[in-house]
Amino acid sequence: MAEVHVIGQIMGATGFSESSLLCKWGVHTGPGFVSPWAAWKLLSGVREGQTQVDTPQIGDMAYWSHPIDLHFATKGLQGWPRLHLQVWSQDSFGRCQLAGYGFCHVPSSPGTHQLDCPTWRPLGSWREQLARAFVGGGPQLLHGDAIYSGADRYRLHTTSGGTVHLELSLLLRHFDRYGVEC
Amino acid sequence: MAAAAPSVFLLMVNGQVESAQFPEYDDLYCKYCFVYGQDWAPTAGLEEGISQITSKSQDARRALVWNFPIDVTFKSTNPYGWPQIVLSVYGPDVFGNDVVRGYGAVHVPLSPGRHKKTIPMFVPESTSKLQKFTSWFMGRRPEYTDPKVVAQGEGREGKGSPPWAGWAW
Repeated sequence: MAEVHVIGQIMGATGFSESSLLCKWGVHTGPGFVSPWAAWKLLSGVREGQTQVDTPQIGDMAYWSHPIDLHFATKGLQGWPRLHLQVWSQDSFGRCQLAGYGFCHVPSSPGTHQLDCPTWRPLGSWREQLARAFVGGGPQLLHGDAIYSGADRYRLHTTSGGTVHLELSLLLRHFDRYGVEC
Repeated sequence: MAAAAPSVFLLMVNGQVESAQFPEYDDLYCKYCFVYGQDWAPTAGLEEGISQITSKSQDARRALVWNFPIDVTFKSTNPYGWPQIVLSVYGPDVFGNDVVRGYGAVHVPLSPGRHKKTIPMFVPESTSKLQKFTSWFMGRRPEYTDPKVVAQGEGREGKGSPPWAGWAW
């Protein structure tokens, strides 16, 4: 089996109008076509997590420095891992409000990569927008797969949120046995 | 397919904690330690250290320079659990007590060569205003009983009352 190591950090986020941000992240893998040969197995590491809440004191970037360390085994390239993110803001009462959804593919070349993942959130009707401005809350996705899948996106009307910054390093092993050069 | 015998590789880390920028605080020292997975073990050098106390330079840079050497070699059979360096910075508060000014962690770079890393530092904060005032007044800030938790991903949610935070009495 070929192996992929994803080691890095969710560094932080910029460009959000809210402060006191936290990020829930998860990694979604294949299958591209449904095939028993193309299954990705997570050998070590946690597939999802949540960062702490950070309130920027200096400047506008919220820093999480959340470590990511994943070890996958696979027999095929289909369903290459995708990292999906949900950024939430927390107010002084402890309530959480959605600030943005985003996803990015895990890089496929070995080495260290700086990633900037843009985010978006559902807009809702003008009534919902007004309520969000005064009371908080606002529309959220019922199923998280719209974050990383293109199907059914045409139904959504969204507005943009800020950007999440990640630094991920990739180590690949045994891909030459499967005819993949890297 | 026969399993390949585990092959041991070495990771040599040479470098320094060069300097810091803390606009609000002065007279700081830092501690470093490494956090790594089960398949890793240090074979040479020091995996922890405490630096000298430094004061801000008088020039426009206002830099806090430590120039504190890091010299350690790890051996492992598996990249999972790649070492992270955890830094904790401490300094005196208004009343003269030693309080934590920041924690930060970053993975040791994965590619050979020369790397410069800037690590953002954060401090845990109490959610209750009364607790914040009491801790400022008594000089007992929320502090992690073990700074190594900064390098872990699990358990970071609900930062207001984190299960690991301790009060250093």
